Amino acid sequence: MMEVIGSTLVLLGALFHFSAGLGMLRMPDVYTRMQAGTKASTLGNTLILAGLAFYHPGWSLKLLIIVYFVLMTNPISSHALARAAYGIRIPLAGDTGIDALRDDQQNLRSKP
Amino acid sequence: MTRRFFVVVAIVLFGLVFASLAIGYTEQHSLRALAESYVRLVPQELGAPNVITGILLTYRAFDTLGEVAVLFMVGAGVVLVLSADRWPRAAAYGPEKPRQSSEIMQSGAQILAPLIAIFAAYIIMNGHLSAGGGFQGGAVIASCVLLLLLAYPQYQVNIEFLSITESVAGALFVLAGIAGLIVADGFLDSRILPLGQFGAFFSAGAIPVLSILLGVKVGCELSVILDGFRPEPVEQKDQV
Repeated sequence: MMEVIGSTLVLLGALFHFSAGLGMLRMPDVYTRMQAGTKASTLGNTLILAGLAFYHPGWSLKLLIIVYFVLMTNPISSHALARAAYGIRIPLAGDTGIDALRDDQQNLRSKP
Repeated sequence: MTRRFFVVVAIVLFGLVFASLAIGYTEQHSLRALAESYVRLVPQELGAPNVITGILLTYRAFDTLGEVAVLFMVGAGVVLVLSADRWPRAAAYGPEKPRQSSEIMQSGAQILAPLIAIFAAYIIMNGHLSAGGGFQGGAVIASCVLLLLLAYPQYQVNIEFLSITESVAGALFVLAGIAGLIVADGFLDSRILPLGQFGAFFSAGAIPVLSILLGVKVGCELSVILDGFRPEPVEQKDQV
């Protein structure tokens, strides 16, 4: 039973990783690609590690630490990359409606 | 059309190369004579469960010393080349002034940097027991420094401190080697300290000590290299 649950979780994680790869190929610009890759791979990693914890209950604590590390580093690194990309003015996709960072910076500048 | 043809030919050739590798591979069921003697001798003579660290820090420690020296030369070369023309580049490709890193980045670095440092210490200290050792731990230390540099671009790395620490670690490494020459069987013999209980945290002679020295040295060297990739601090002050 435990193995079935573990395998299901790992399979689900692999599906999310697949969607991350699909997103990298299909998304129109850097930012959406980065978002697809990061979100899906973070969840995919978490699910795979959770599945492993079902396989090897003895590893649970170590796996939990790894999950924590992934949850910390993955979003932060993609955030830094996306900001760097924005900073060197890599263009947004043509049909992007809202650019919250630009609005924010303009607000900051217009304030005395 | 011809281009596609060449692509197909290239793929087929690559396929042939890898297929020959995959077909020709046979799993070895027994160790070669040299590997077997190492696997037998390292736990027996040096008291280290991790055979690789035993080889790196005793049987081939002289080679390791050479590797560290090469890394030092790489660091010196990188700093020399990069400091020759510092940052017309930032003006050409980057924004007008260096961006402040965001709050998310800074908070993340504050949480992660201690974790990474602890992990580095763990890798270095357990080099003789499990996978790891000085080089790997030193690289992890450098990754911690890189994270801090990304989060705080204005942070001044104390290059002098790093250089002095690195030199002291290197000198101690060589001194330990000479002590091996006097007390034990040869240069960089790790049996200058008692072997202790097999598998214990304090065991395997001087291997943990050499690991620490190596880790400190590699960490400092890589940090200096990373700092070399940064914009010139004086210029930065002007722009901010």
